[in-house]
Amino acid sequence: MDDQACPRCKTTKYRNPSLKLMVNVCGHALCESCVDLLFLKGSGSCPDCNVPLRRSNFRVQLFEDPMVEKEIDIRKRVLKDYNKKEEDFATLREYNDYLEEIETIIYNLTNNIDVVGTNKRIEQYKKDNKELIMKNKAKIGREEIELEEILEIEKQMEELRRAEIARMEQEAKKQKIREKEALIDELMFAEGDAKDILNTFAQTVASNKQEEVLPPVPKITQFSTGVKFTTRGLEQTPMVTIEEGPLYRYEAPPVPDRCGPDPPSLHEIMTQGYLRHVKAETETEKAGGYSSQLPCLRALQDALAGLYHAS
Amino acid sequence: MMDEPIIRYEKIDFLGEGQFATVYKARDVKTDKIVAVKKIKIGSRLEAQDGINRTALREIKLLQELQHINLIGLLDVFGQKSNVSLVFDFMDTDLEIIVKDNNIVLTPANVKAYMIMTLKGLEYLHQNWILHRDLKPNNLLINREGILKIGDFGLAKAFGSPTRINTHQVVTRWYRSPELLFGARQYGTGVDMWAIGCILAELLLRVPFLPGETDLDQLSRIFQVFGTPTEEIWPGMKNLTDYVQFKQFPPQQLRHIFSAASDDLIQLLESLLAIYPPKRCDCTQALQMPYFSNKPAPSVGAKLPMPSNITKLETEKPSLKRKLLENIDGGSLAKRLQF
Repeated sequence: MDDQACPRCKTTKYRNPSLKLMVNVCGHALCESCVDLLFLKGSGSCPDCNVPLRRSNFRVQLFEDPMVEKEIDIRKRVLKDYNKKEEDFATLREYNDYLEEIETIIYNLTNNIDVVGTNKRIEQYKKDNKELIMKNKAKIGREEIELEEILEIEKQMEELRRAEIARMEQEAKKQKIREKEALIDELMFAEGDAKDILNTFAQTVASNKQEEVLPPVPKITQFSTGVKFTTRGLEQTPMVTIEEGPLYRYEAPPVPDRCGPDPPSLHEIMTQGYLRHVKAETETEKAGGYSSQLPCLRALQDALAGLYHAS
Repeated sequence: MMDEPIIRYEKIDFLGEGQFATVYKARDVKTDKIVAVKKIKIGSRLEAQDGINRTALREIKLLQELQHINLIGLLDVFGQKSNVSLVFDFMDTDLEIIVKDNNIVLTPANVKAYMIMTLKGLEYLHQNWILHRDLKPNNLLINREGILKIGDFGLAKAFGSPTRINTHQVVTRWYRSPELLFGARQYGTGVDMWAIGCILAELLLRVPFLPGETDLDQLSRIFQVFGTPTEEIWPGMKNLTDYVQFKQFPPQQLRHIFSAASDDLIQLLESLLAIYPPKRCDCTQALQMPYFSNKPAPSVGAKLPMPSNITKLETEKPSLKRKLLENIDGGSLAKRLQF
């Protein structure tokens, strides 16, 4: 059910499985052979809309709707000049307006609305912002270079790591063989019980394994954090790990020197009948969070404080 | 103590102005320490009749005798002409600024450290028979060493007297306990504990937990979370002065509201925010709960986050604008301790 067909020669995907549709800036599709045929000289006009086209501008159609392709072309062209960044604007509002304007221009060009006017607008914009456009172009170029550098470093790191892992695997294999040989030797020449020897070997193997598992871990974290910024990444790691202070243990606050005999504790007040001598709280008072224990304790503290005081 | 106070304190900066006082940042020439000087306004003739302003008197009276690392230190009091000025430790920021600062990440270890410091200060306060009665993030002051100190003792009062009637019009509404909202005149440490619970919840949510718009709205918000209490849950509730019948709300699971909180933390929250005041834990009980001794260990002072402008600009006054705005709104109540 491939209804993809060349609008000029009417060849369909069904009849020619290797059919490849190409598009140019105008957004009209042509199959590969038609392009070859029509643009023998390198340039010609679109059979649909008569727009002059260059052969080198033809590319394979990726989207089913050729309008999308056209829009992509236009977008690329427009964004080459409209390359301001958010930092170039004072407010977010201005930046949003600017983005809105770009979208309007692209929409107009794609749908052939006021093409002449819109193109004039672009020209005007180019003239007005010549310097900034150049500057941003240079900036983007630089950013690209930086990104490439980062990718390159990342690649190197990856390779290094792979080599390291391979080396360790090799080592582990060798170690295993050596262990096996040692075991056989032992079994052949030693005097002891074969079972004991097997057990001791199993233990050493197990302990070796534990040792082996641990070391690669720090290496991996080292590599995965650092893309070019290895040094910074390493500095950050201790910040991420939570600083473990000492766990909290409750310590009762020191009892102030009251210069008198120790008053009874709250527990003693509740159990030893002190409360019989104070006004019991009413239900309403209790509902408010008041209890007669605390005033009782306070009164006793006040009464006993300062009894040892001598002037 | 009173030697040449005007010369002793060198004004550096204006920090803020409240209804009753103006606060300056100053340098103590004698010790070369940065301090906050709170100059009490004398006010109108009518106010001056009673002598010194009541909130200032409370601060002087109580703070003079209190010495604790987690309570704001009153360093000096001096008079000059007819003015009275209080000299406090200088504090860089407060918990409200930290909670509201979106650039700051509060780890579980940070939250635990703040809670421990607050509870230790409050435990000392309660041990000395004083209720703070105005605990809120804004009054938990923090200096650049990461030490938290409870400030603003303008509403603090001694408790534990069987006959004294207290006012229930205390504590900023969002942190006010249900018994105060119902108009209880006899209350205990529970009012401070409830506020601590609300502050802890705010540290987790990064927005006020129960931002009621009126006193009644505050109660209904509380009951929407914890369920409307019945006479079994809260005996004697109906006898409270301002009791009003509320619609029956079903209680919600705290772990659904604080989905990221660990079980031991939920346990602490439930204990701090118990509807029935006698069921609420006190500071000592709270500090002995597993949440505090479990992992993660609390952050040590220097590891606690600070607003970015504190470390950069010495002279920045982050709280001034906010405080002034608050005062225009009418604020909470007429008292202010500004840093």
